[in-house]
Amino acid sequence: MKDYFNLANSSQLYVWGFFILFIIFIQAILFIRLAWKEGKRIGLNSKKMLSGLRAGIISAIVPSIAIVLTFMAMIPVLGIPVPWIRLSVIGSGPYELLAAGIGAESMGVSGLGGDGYTAQVFANSVWIMTIGAMWSSLIVFFFLKKIKKGYQRIEKRDAQWMKIISNAAFFGVISVFIAAPITKGGLPLLTLISGAIIMSICALLVVKCKMTKLKEFALAISMIGAMFSAILFS
Amino acid sequence: MITPEEKFENSVHKIGRITILIIIISVLIVPVFIWMFYGIFPPLNSLVKGIITISSFMIPLSIAEILSFYPILGSSGIYMAYTTGNIANLKVPSSAIGMEVVNVEPGTKEGNIISIIAMAGSVIVSELLLLISMIMIVPISEKLTNSIFQPAFEQILPALFGALGAYYIFKEWKLAVVPLAISIVFYLIGDFPTAITVPICVLSSILGAKYLYKKGQISAT
Repeated sequence: MKDYFNLANSSQLYVWGFFILFIIFIQAILFIRLAWKEGKRIGLNSKKMLSGLRAGIISAIVPSIAIVLTFMAMIPVLGIPVPWIRLSVIGSGPYELLAAGIGAESMGVSGLGGDGYTAQVFANSVWIMTIGAMWSSLIVFFFLKKIKKGYQRIEKRDAQWMKIISNAAFFGVISVFIAAPITKGGLPLLTLISGAIIMSICALLVVKCKMTKLKEFALAISMIGAMFSAILFS
Repeated sequence: MITPEEKFENSVHKIGRITILIIIISVLIVPVFIWMFYGIFPPLNSLVKGIITISSFMIPLSIAEILSFYPILGSSGIYMAYTTGNIANLKVPSSAIGMEVVNVEPGTKEGNIISIIAMAGSVIVSELLLLISMIMIVPISEKLTNSIFQPAFEQILPALFGALGAYYIFKEWKLAVVPLAISIVFYLIGDFPTAITVPICVLSSILGAKYLYKKGQISAT
């Protein structure tokens, strides 16, 4: 056991993690309640909103497992509570490891968890991870209203165009993640294609056979199918 | 006199800003806590050096990223996304699938409501799964990381985006041409972090859509 692990796994950090989790749940519940009320007002019925909630829940399960695996990869280096807190709030696996690495390097220590990675270096890693990720939340806190006004001006001029911006931005994000396996080839490409094929079959079943229930599960089914095919191909 | 819509918008900002501020402070307390209770604080010059390094790229990247995600997620979505992270791989897909299942359009009032509800659902699930895994961490971790399931989890992103991509590209393939071409070029040139490629691809995707829209090639779906 490395010496900084007593600090990294201290029970007070666990307690603090539960407090942070509590705030996150409160935020999610407050937003659901608010959206529910507003939805009723503009004529969405509870059935529709419930199926939206269900779709969000089901589609989150498989990607969350990936986050859990990142969490496990971080534990040998950073202990349990700090990665748990970091991944519960803003941040992602690669970012946290990069930031922790910068924290170590600025103290002249290369590599995480290796020789010379003392409690002090660990503390520096935690500071850097925290401050680097704080910027985006701070920008949201101070400037989101301004950003919103900018986009609202576009919407007022041409509402149709605003819808297309929203679609185009979505395509921009997913393209990056589709291009990665295409250029890598091999197993990632095969998995990508399997996911695409299974999803297309699901979409056909929904449209041709009117299996509307399938729509909610289509993403989860396609992901599990594609991941299963990754095991077969590897 | 404020309209009900403005009242809703004001509540979104009130809830969002208060909770995100509490989270910012609570997270900052983690290193402060290590300092206060254990008296461990890094040498100031190392700390400052690290902060400058990380901030030099995180500030511009965060701005570009927030501008890219805003039209997809809306205000309340942005507050939740920037409280809990994992945006492109979790929050964006959940909100898109939610709107698809209920059959409402993104960028509309109804779409916004469903997107909020779907995303809040996905936040609760992912946080709960993380919590459960933490509680049961020791028994599972070895089994999952050293097993035949390993390649499956390494390929989780291609699996997610193959499925998501197939669905949306069939729906409106013209919008996908520009960003997909540019992303492929990016990966052929070198290995850039997604924090750089995502904003650039979003911007070029919007410019490409603008061209198509002006030519009358696409209309809002």
